[in-house]
Amino acid sequence: MMNKQTALQKRYDVLIIGSGVVGSALARELSRYQLNVAVLEKELDVCTETSGRNSGVIHAGFNNKPGSLMAKFCVEGCLGYGVVADEIDIPFSRTGKLVVGFDDEDRKKLQALKEAGEQNGVPGLEIVESDVIRDKAPAILGEMALYSPMTGITNPFLYTVALAENAVQNGVSLWLNHEVTAIEQVDDGYQVQTTQGVFESRWVINCAGLFADRVARMVGIDDYTIYPCRGEYLVLDKELGSQLPLPAYPVPNIREGGLGIHLTPTTDGNILVGPSTDYIDEHTDYGTTRSILDLLMREGRKIFPPLNPSAVIRTFAGVRPKLVSRTTGGYADFVIEHRPETRHFINMVGLESPGLTAAVPIARNVISIIGEYEDLRENPSFNPCREGILSFKDQTPERQESLIHENPDYGVVVCRCEGITQAEILAAIRNPLGVTTLSGIKNRSRAMMGRCQGGYCQIRIAELIMAEQNRSEESVMLARKGSRTFVGKVRPS
Amino acid sequence: MTTQNRSVIIIGGGPAGLAAAAALRQQGVEDILILEREHDLGGILRQCIHDGFGLTRFKEALSGPEYAARFVDTVQQAGIEVMTDITVTELHADRTVVATARSGRYVFKAQAVILAMGCRERTRGAIQIPGSRPAGVYTAGIAQAYMNLKNIMIGRSAVILGSGDIGLIMARRLTLEGASVKGVFEIQPYPSGLPRNITQCLDDYDIPLFLSHTVTAIHGTKRLTGVTVSQVDSSFRPIPDTEKEWTCDTLILSVGLIPENELSKMAGVLLDPRTKGPRVDEHYQTSVAGIFAAGNVLHVHDLVDFVSLEAERLAESVGDYLKQAPADEEAVPVEADPELAYTVPQLVRADRDLTVSCRVRRPLNRVRISIWQNDQKHVTRRFRRAIPAEMIHLTVPKEKLVPGEPLKVVVEHE
Amino acid sequence: MNKTLTCVICPNGCQLTVDYEGVTIQSVEGALCSKGNQYAEQEILDPKRNIASSVRVTGGKAPLVSVRLTGPIPKKKIFDVMAEIRALSVAAPVEIGQVLIADVSGLGQDVIATKRIDRI
Repeated sequence: MMNKQTALQKRYDVLIIGSGVVGSALARELSRYQLNVAVLEKELDVCTETSGRNSGVIHAGFNNKPGSLMAKFCVEGCLGYGVVADEIDIPFSRTGKLVVGFDDEDRKKLQALKEAGEQNGVPGLEIVESDVIRDKAPAILGEMALYSPMTGITNPFLYTVALAENAVQNGVSLWLNHEVTAIEQVDDGYQVQTTQGVFESRWVINCAGLFADRVARMVGIDDYTIYPCRGEYLVLDKELGSQLPLPAYPVPNIREGGLGIHLTPTTDGNILVGPSTDYIDEHTDYGTTRSILDLLMREGRKIFPPLNPSAVIRTFAGVRPKLVSRTTGGYADFVIEHRPETRHFINMVGLESPGLTAAVPIARNVISIIGEYEDLRENPSFNPCREGILSFKDQTPERQESLIHENPDYGVVVCRCEGITQAEILAAIRNPLGVTTLSGIKNRSRAMMGRCQGGYCQIRIAELIMAEQNRSEESVMLARKGSRTFVGKVRPS
Repeated sequence: MTTQNRSVIIIGGGPAGLAAAAALRQQGVEDILILEREHDLGGILRQCIHDGFGLTRFKEALSGPEYAARFVDTVQQAGIEVMTDITVTELHADRTVVATARSGRYVFKAQAVILAMGCRERTRGAIQIPGSRPAGVYTAGIAQAYMNLKNIMIGRSAVILGSGDIGLIMARRLTLEGASVKGVFEIQPYPSGLPRNITQCLDDYDIPLFLSHTVTAIHGTKRLTGVTVSQVDSSFRPIPDTEKEWTCDTLILSVGLIPENELSKMAGVLLDPRTKGPRVDEHYQTSVAGIFAAGNVLHVHDLVDFVSLEAERLAESVGDYLKQAPADEEAVPVEADPELAYTVPQLVRADRDLTVSCRVRRPLNRVRISIWQNDQKHVTRRFRRAIPAEMIHLTVPKEKLVPGEPLKVVVEHE
Repeated sequence: MNKTLTCVICPNGCQLTVDYEGVTIQSVEGALCSKGNQYAEQEILDPKRNIASSVRVTGGKAPLVSVRLTGPIPKKKIFDVMAEIRALSVAAPVEIGQVLIADVSGLGQDVIATKRIDRI
């Protein structure tokens, strides 16, 4: 039982649990209305789990079962992505995508994908032959392919950050490092206990991703289990980037529960190889494994022969919050529900791929549910635009010159590999969400992401964080709560 | 933006750049500009506070900062122009150098450019250690910079992967500062650092060295909690059932250095896949006319003394180049024995005294290493033991060399 | 008795074979120079090392100044010397070669600065 004596800290109209891409998109969409909205996030930054650990592909919607929520929201999300990306100033490129096949069996499967896509309303799908593959991506192997012109690539981390920043700019409160521990239904809504105090809200929206089943259980919904399913990736040096202008996928084995080990260019010019598909026990076990890394190399080479071990600069893993177990296989549909017995608790479970693409339509769907009960009035001061950090190296020499003149910090190159200046690092450190982790600064500025992986710049960035925020060595975190980077001073004063 | 014309631009104010600048000035070259991205000159020596530098060059045992200071003083006394806190962002084949600093964006055009950017460390990503990504994983050089320059203590109990010299030095450094160093694990069957460092950094402090071992997994989601170490077979594959867990909060990687070659590549300089640095002739001139390279940007050295000496030889050639581009003797290759990892230079024109630097691929006992041209043996050195950790130098006077005839560096077992 | 040592005097790192009886050195083999013989003798009788570390600086452009000893000290005294170094704090400016601790731990060697640290 919750302690009734605990003083209420905050009271909101809508409380969102989880600041992944869906929680952040929902926060931004809700900020269009005159509502008092807050987001509770257990980690030190948004986008710490699934939303930031994927291929960054904006899917067209041909992989999903016709009639499913996945198909509907994915197609809508893909068509609308360009507008959102423009508004919140994040990288997006409608590169198109190839799903390559090698034999008659593959051709049949590609044809089936095309038909499903067309049923879903995906425009422009066509089966192309090897000459078109060579034309679009000379390094990609394949006898034939399904070509999808609407598919694109984005930076999933920046997308989530930008959604959250825009929400915060429009009045949403973001509570980082607030892990929800209990939820109690009260007369006019819910009391939500966190590791840092109690919140009260008329509405609670479960956007907890990998932990959505646990949050649902807190209000008594106990019929869901999340099966964590890990996907490992290789990140390749930019040197190979020009050889892969668009994502290239193998024919998916739907039963496996993923889209197959594919190659995706990132909006920064690197290449991702992955993900694998392995059910694991621990929800946040992001460890990579020797055998899978070797598998990625072998599988990747089947469609992209230039792939080689010396091009790998980093490895990482993401975990899919699947609603189907290893034995069931495949995909379940998104669960988005509002039950009579848990009034004003909107439960969302199983928001795995294509959740990144579908986030905004999912959010709008949630708002339509809320709208059935609330008189939603538009927020007249809502501003849909958010500005990202200006990239110095992408400016003309004349503009660079004037930027340095206006702000000399632009003249200090901190990250050599990626050409990131001190002005950009400081902008990242002074981010609107108040995030201070090294990974948070890395993901916002791109510093430390290059081939030296912070060998030159990490020290300077750590120093800037400490100086800007008057922090001690012990309080500099790498990414998660407790990820202490240093243990103190060599010679304490 | 106006372009400044300069005789010589040196990119990097570490040991190679400083020695080249000082030697060029001695030859009477007036217009020299050193561009250094840090606030202070000295490069990596600033953080190498241990002693043992300068025994060859100065016949005394100095610490890194003292060794650097000798050259910094010379450069300053000679009035050589230095810009610090400036980063070169572009280098073009026509020797245009673009750089930025707080004071603005600069464009230089130089008669000769000297690449002296040093090297960088191989990372966890480059060697693809599986496992999670907690805090507490550092390359040896970063760990050294934090501790020696920034007064930041990185951990309390460490495992070191790789027996490179910086890793060995950091094992001792951490121990002296009260951390416990559990062990050093080396994938090769022999150490990659110098024997003296095995003795004075590990043996002295009872830190065990495990050869033919590597880290096969990293554990912890927040701070590092430990690593799994396995024995490896002769093809470096982990041997099943040899896994052992080591508890530690810090993993130091000392797994190799790579020449810093971003700018070299940008200028279209051809690289040697063995050294990962530019291919040069005995003038230390790269494949791009007027662009020269010396020090760790060219090939990773064992001792800074050899970096200085190499840069001084380079300066001689740059001095000549400025007077007149050398009458083009055709460059012919230096062929390395299969027992050698590489040679520098990779090409010779046979129009100046030649110093060949090389390393053996594996430890060899009782060998002779010779330089041959046709049937003529120009020089031989005998080694009771030659190890990959130590660079080998052979010199041939110009008079002995025949232009247009390839050279061979031959290893013979006695 | 026979013992194999690696000479640490210079980067040559000669492998020395020392033949000795108690405190009497009978022969040293493998040294490329005479320093190796002296090292072997010292190593058998009373091994000595130089050490490098850092001393806290106040009011300087850097928080630390690097230091070393003017000469080697007995190995077994290394942590005594470290304790003195750790306890010390000096005010900027510091010059290269400046003696920060004279005759450290009474061992006949000084702790000297190896870097110049200017005042802020």
